Amino acid sequence: MKRGLFLSALALTVLFVSCKKDKADPTPTTVKTKSISVNFNPASQFTFFSFKDTTVVENSDSATGKWDFGLRLTTFLVNSNSSGPGNAGVILLNTPYDNVYSASEAGYAYDTTTTQRAIKDGSWYDYNPATHAFVPKAGKTFVFRTADGHYAKMELLSVDYEPFIGMTPQKLIYKFRYVYQPNDGMRGF
Amino acid sequence: MKQLGLIILSISLSIIGTAQDTASEHFNKERHLDEVVVTANRSERKMGNVAAPVQIVSQKIIKRTGSQRLQDILQEQTGITIVNSTLASSLNGYPNPFGQGVQMLGLDPSYTLILLDGEPLIGRNGGILKLGRIATGDIRQIEIVKGPSSSLYGSEAMAGVINVLTQSPEKRKLELQLHQATHNTWGSTVSYFDKINKTGVQFFLNRYSSSGYDLDKTIYGKTVDPFREWNGQLKITQDINSKMQWLLSLRNFDSKQDNNYQILWGGNPAIAKGFTTEKDNSLFSQLRWQLKPQRKIYFRAFYDDYRNNSFVNLDKTTTRFDETTFNQSIIKPEIQYERVHGKNSYVAGAGAYFETMDADRYAGKRNFTTVYAFTQNEWSLVNNKLTFIAGGRVDKRNDFEAKFSPRIALAYHPNEHWKFTASSGMGFKAPDFRHLYLVFNNSQIGYSLIGAKQLATTLQQLKQQGLLQTGADITPYLGENNLKAETSFGSHFGANYSNEKWTIGLGLFRNDIKNLIDNFALPFTRSNGQAVFSYHNIGRVFTQGIEISTKYNLTKNISLSGGYQFLDAKDKDVLEKIDNKELYKRDPVTYITTLVKRSDYFGLFNRSKNSGNIKIDYNNEAKGWNVYARGIYRGRFGFMDMNGNAIADDPSEMVNGFWLLNLAASKTFKQGWAVQCGVENLLNYTNPSKLSNIAGRILFINLNYSIINKNKKQ
Repeated sequence: MKRGLFLSALALTVLFVSCKKDKADPTPTTVKTKSISVNFNPASQFTFFSFKDTTVVENSDSATGKWDFGLRLTTFLVNSNSSGPGNAGVILLNTPYDNVYSASEAGYAYDTTTTQRAIKDGSWYDYNPATHAFVPKAGKTFVFRTADGHYAKMELLSVDYEPFIGMTPQKLIYKFRYVYQPNDGMRGF
Repeated sequence: MKQLGLIILSISLSIIGTAQDTASEHFNKERHLDEVVVTANRSERKMGNVAAPVQIVSQKIIKRTGSQRLQDILQEQTGITIVNSTLASSLNGYPNPFGQGVQMLGLDPSYTLILLDGEPLIGRNGGILKLGRIATGDIRQIEIVKGPSSSLYGSEAMAGVINVLTQSPEKRKLELQLHQATHNTWGSTVSYFDKINKTGVQFFLNRYSSSGYDLDKTIYGKTVDPFREWNGQLKITQDINSKMQWLLSLRNFDSKQDNNYQILWGGNPAIAKGFTTEKDNSLFSQLRWQLKPQRKIYFRAFYDDYRNNSFVNLDKTTTRFDETTFNQSIIKPEIQYERVHGKNSYVAGAGAYFETMDADRYAGKRNFTTVYAFTQNEWSLVNNKLTFIAGGRVDKRNDFEAKFSPRIALAYHPNEHWKFTASSGMGFKAPDFRHLYLVFNNSQIGYSLIGAKQLATTLQQLKQQGLLQTGADITPYLGENNLKAETSFGSHFGANYSNEKWTIGLGLFRNDIKNLIDNFALPFTRSNGQAVFSYHNIGRVFTQGIEISTKYNLTKNISLSGGYQFLDAKDKDVLEKIDNKELYKRDPVTYITTLVKRSDYFGLFNRSKNSGNIKIDYNNEAKGWNVYARGIYRGRFGFMDMNGNAIADDPSEMVNGFWLLNLAASKTFKQGWAVQCGVENLLNYTNPSKLSNIAGRILFINLNYSIINKNKKQ
């Protein structure tokens, strides 16, 4: 949490240091809203997602750099060090999504070890014990350096239970939106 | 009860809120002021002389409603809301296994002390006492004291005290009642009273059963499963001599309810069935010794044993799917002394609680010992127009720092029409068993919730077993991990006016509560990646409001009454975050995120800003008719967060206000018969997912028969 605050301050200082208008015809940014299905059982497999491919990555590719972040229940992975061979990093900003205009150059957190992950459980949602709802906190934005060295900003919008039988849920539906900057070296959204 | 929260993730203690009252529900000026209350001062006082906000619900009123359940009676009282437990129920629409409780002054049910004949009811599972354990047929009077009352009653009496007084021996009389209602609900009651020489007897027996109801047919099983309950009481009084009276009271409650719900077994849907049984047996013995006309001393001993067991098996097998037990017992000796000395009334007492708790979610059998002493003096000044009260109580629990709770109160009674009151006091609630000793490992999800006192040893065990993530630093948690009591400071100001036609009461109240206990996630996880939770003192809230109650005697037979409460209950830390511009809201449709403003913040969840009631009573004693119509309004309240800030601030997070209309009519015949029929929830209001305790429209009929009745009764 402290780190998050520090990083957000850092990010703010570079807010307007965005891309220069010189390179001709940059590839347009990818702007998407996606829903993905995530396992509820903490012993099951993660769901991996790639911003570039705008899709869930097969579990067989978990040991590759094809994915950027992974989710299982409320455990959040970024493709780095202990979680994967990628070079992804993340900053959890206390800034509303629409107010994040560019990605910071540095200051990204990594999954250093399995106990020192970039995104701490509980840092981005509120759990309601009466309804069991996980509600992503408003005003939090994930800024990524992706596994392939590009930048993206992402906001979690909702977490819902997939219909299930009995008392133990099987799947959560994570809904999120993001902007992916596909151009090398550009950090603006 | 289908219960079972599988997902009982956390269990946050949750919060608080408010409300207060002033005048009583109940009217009839002269009689009202002459009514005797015991709860406000722990000794008998006339209503007109009581400085605390007290409400009385008489047996007559209870009978006029025809209701069999205590929560229905309480819900009709201004400033009281019946709420579901804030603890986890389960997903998929299973009802809350912890039941419903009383929200008073906007505080959660665990902050209202509920007494039966002055002695505590035990068996608060998840902080809530099931009110259905008290049969309405046995109630002589309910006394509701609002505001911190720890100065006389100790822990739990933070929002106030509800004292349910049962019937006592009187002249020989036999009363029978048969009750029938929607959902195949049956109730039968026998009451017997007698006085033979110096011995008095009161016997009460009630059986109540129902097939339950189902608000959502799309989900397997019923919303409330079939149940049956037995409720019995035997009271014996013996006048030993002109100065000593001995009282013995035996009580028994025994209930059994089906459990029947769908589970997933080996990856396939299956049915789990079983029972929840609840047994409560108590024994109370009191010796009252009138030392001198002005001096009294009471010796009391109370024993109560509460057992709750719930299980389900895989249907048609003996394979146990789930089982929980919760057993609690208490032994409570007490001595109380009262003296009227000139214009002073003095009361003091001392006692102890020896509590034992044995529940499978606690680490073994636990014992608490509490010793306490209280004292209070009441001065009558200025020609008895001014009453001043000062008192306090000390509680010391073996595992816990001593707690002192003072209170002062003032009543000014300038003439027969007006009465003004002011009182301030402190209340507290000691950490309960679960906050200290819970060791709960959720097998489905895998997280752990550990009581503060168990934290050090449990973490060490988990670490040794390799169940904590590698590198977890548990050293900060190896100390005492003490929790403090939750404490409140509350004030109340009241003004009452009455004449032949009107009774009007106005009350203002404010309570500040700190050190609320809530759960928190430790900075490391289990090796499975799941969180480890424990408890700490964190929350600060306030509740404040206005209460108005009024009654108007339209004619000799018709009276109209109404009550209203405005409640403002908020979390101080939330207000601070709003002021610091740290709290955002995300529009569920446009996803536009903006800062929360103070004006957006509705207040604590589950609290209605506006609530009230309207009652019309037609009573013709001569002809034996009574018609009692009540409308109870519960205003809009926050139910759950939807927009990402954990507070109620958006219309989508609210449950809209609603009315419950209840009507009962009775006719009493000279031969001792009385017939009563009625309808509860006439408008058929239901809200299956958020208020599963409201059953929909219920029709009922009561047949009463009384032998040795001189005339009418109802």
